[in-house]
Amino acid sequence: MEIDPMDEFERELREAFERRPAPPGLKRRLMEKRRSKLEARPWVTWQRLAASLALTAVLAGGVEWRIVEERRKEEAARQQVMTALRVTSHALNQMNARLAARRRGTQD
Amino acid sequence: MANNRQPDFEQLPEFEKEFEKLVDEHQSMVFSLALRMTGDRGLAEEIAQDVFMEMDRNLTRLESADHACFWLRRVTMSRSTDAMRRRRVRGMDLWVEMEDAHGAAVEERASPLGTRLEQLLATLPEPQRAALILRYQEDLTPEEIAATLSAPVATVKSHLQRGLKLLRAKAATHLKEFVRGN
Repeated sequence: MEIDPMDEFERELREAFERRPAPPGLKRRLMEKRRSKLEARPWVTWQRLAASLALTAVLAGGVEWRIVEERRKEEAARQQVMTALRVTSHALNQMNARLAARRRGTQD
Repeated sequence: MANNRQPDFEQLPEFEKEFEKLVDEHQSMVFSLALRMTGDRGLAEEIAQDVFMEMDRNLTRLESADHACFWLRRVTMSRSTDAMRRRRVRGMDLWVEMEDAHGAAVEERASPLGTRLEQLLATLPEPQRAALILRYQEDLTPEEIAATLSAPVATVKSHLQRGLKLLRAKAATHLKEFVRGN
């Protein structure tokens, strides 16, 4: 039986294109690469954790500073109001004293 | 390779075994695909390493041995195409190593006919080369090749026919002493 030349050529292609063996040491290199990546992972996790903590601390510090600053401004405003009230009270007392003195003078 | 598993440090030995098993089974396939696509042993090994490391990151998504094999073929072909594109952009000429096969151990070298056919294969357009490699190295059907390359089946069949015709013509001219049936 005559073989179809196309089939014969394809058969030759199949033979020629058999899988080549992988380079020696490829698996070893892969396993080493994988292990070193896994070993680096906890360090990366710690780095991420440290960065998260630092960021949280900065944010918390910022919020705290803002609260303290607001309280300081409130206290300053309260002090100003108290001073104004004291000045007003003092002025009113003086005015009262003068009016009382005038009243006494009129009656005399 | 079960679904919905999350890799954690307690599961690492199990994953390592799976990874090692997959490397054992498929390293030759991945390397050969990359080598025949690029023609560069160093680049093919680089691609093989990248593909397996990528597989390691996606190990939890692989559902079965067949899926792993399909995934490896697909990613290898795609990485090889990308690598060739990058090299072309840099203006480097590939397929310089196949001829003298330097870097390969003596026992690894292909037969003279195999080497010559690989050289001829290298002269084919990339889509035809990809289709022929998957057809004759991996023994895939046009439908399986289409799925691997994400291409329509009709396109793959056309690449196979044209590529084979071209390769036959080139072999008839250049490999008279080797090819039977010509």
